[in-house]
Amino acid sequence: MPGPTYPTLRRRSFLLYSGTAVGVLALPKVLNAAEPVKPAMVTLAFDGDALLAAGSDLLRSDDGGSSWTALPVPAVVPALATHPERPGRIIAGLASGGVALSEDGGRTWEGRSRGLTEGKVDAVAMAAGQPDMIYASVQGDGLWKSEDVGQNWSLAMDRPWLADAERDLLALTSVDLATGMGGIWIYAGTPAGLTRVPDCFCRWQDVQPGDAMDALVSGDAPPSEAPLPAGDPIHALASAPSAPETLYAALPSGIWTSRDGGVVWSHLVYGYASAVAVHPVDPNHIVAALDGGLKQSRDGGATWSALAVI
Amino acid sequence: MKRKSTILFGIAVVGLAAIAVFTQKQVSEAPVDGLSFMGEPVTTDEIARGQEVYAANCASCHGASLGGQPDWKRRLDTGRMPAPPHDESGHTWHHADRDLFTITKLGVGGVVPGYESDMPAYEGVLTDEEIRAVLVFIKSTWPDRERAFQANVTANDQGGS
Repeated sequence: MPGPTYPTLRRRSFLLYSGTAVGVLALPKVLNAAEPVKPAMVTLAFDGDALLAAGSDLLRSDDGGSSWTALPVPAVVPALATHPERPGRIIAGLASGGVALSEDGGRTWEGRSRGLTEGKVDAVAMAAGQPDMIYASVQGDGLWKSEDVGQNWSLAMDRPWLADAERDLLALTSVDLATGMGGIWIYAGTPAGLTRVPDCFCRWQDVQPGDAMDALVSGDAPPSEAPLPAGDPIHALASAPSAPETLYAALPSGIWTSRDGGVVWSHLVYGYASAVAVHPVDPNHIVAALDGGLKQSRDGGATWSALAVI
Repeated sequence: MKRKSTILFGIAVVGLAAIAVFTQKQVSEAPVDGLSFMGEPVTTDEIARGQEVYAANCASCHGASLGGQPDWKRRLDTGRMPAPPHDESGHTWHHADRDLFTITKLGVGGVVPGYESDMPAYEGVLTDEEIRAVLVFIKSTWPDRERAFQANVTANDQGGS
């Protein structure tokens, strides 16, 4: 009686099947690689020429990123703010709630949270031209302000209403451009895009060209606009203190810039961007957390170089 | 003699009353010092008229004492913001006269396209003169600092003085 017969596995078929099997086994890793790399750094700031970078720790580099020193912050720092008129002053928003202040470049810290509601502080900013005026966004709550470097806080404004829901403020920057209401703007990044509010806090509103109202009244064609990708989260915003109409934004699609106060945006570099900061004097000197690493550009984003592996 | 005195006295009283009315009219129509609207002078009559218009049309939301709705910085369940105060605790004094007039006449969407607000447009409800009067009344309640700030904002606005 003949025994069972088996199909003959030829060499070519064996190679084909093996290749397929290896491909299927490798698929999860390929899919994982397509997901955004978990950002190592969630916030960046310049303190003069020094660079601050915060992820699980807060680090400072005084030599252009060659070496880094860990700073003794009281908690994880999701947000940083500095001011060109106050070198050494650093405001840190804390994941545990509240803010901390350093006046010596980050060597020592004190809590400055009296009157500030509880909750993770997602973003902080100092008002352009008013380094004692601080803004903080509290997750699930709204925008708070302090006129005395955090000694006392009051609610400035509820969260913005975008795409049929209230949105947290993931990023804040004071933009030294006149509102026409005797003050300047605060721009904010949210999970659903960009918004802004005058510093009199009358209402959140879209960024409009300066002459948009005139065009509306006259019936002329509206001024040209090129907004950021609709509905994309904005992880970080930076306004160049020396050229306030120059803005940078960190999105999941990369780093974007505007040279006209946020009306027309262009894409500078692709990648998953979690943070961006601009030098206090040189508006073309920017540092970004991109795909989990740090990159630097000294020409406004035209070319980039890896800064350091922290 | 007695009759003549009575007549003279009566004439004097009527004369004094007429002078008082005339003086009162002069005062109510005189420009109020330190207050204008879009570069034009404001009278006490206009302020009084504005107060009446405010009470009838604005006070129900913005408060009889201009204090706004409670917790006005917190969004309503509808997603819209409550009516803000018009006194010095609010932000009205940050806006130029032209913007205040436009917001009142056309609604907030008149200055911020697409903005959704519970405040109606008053075009067709109030005349331009009534809108001006109510804004003049609101401005008259501000302390000197806020009034000076808003005058500066108005002066820097192209539609201001």
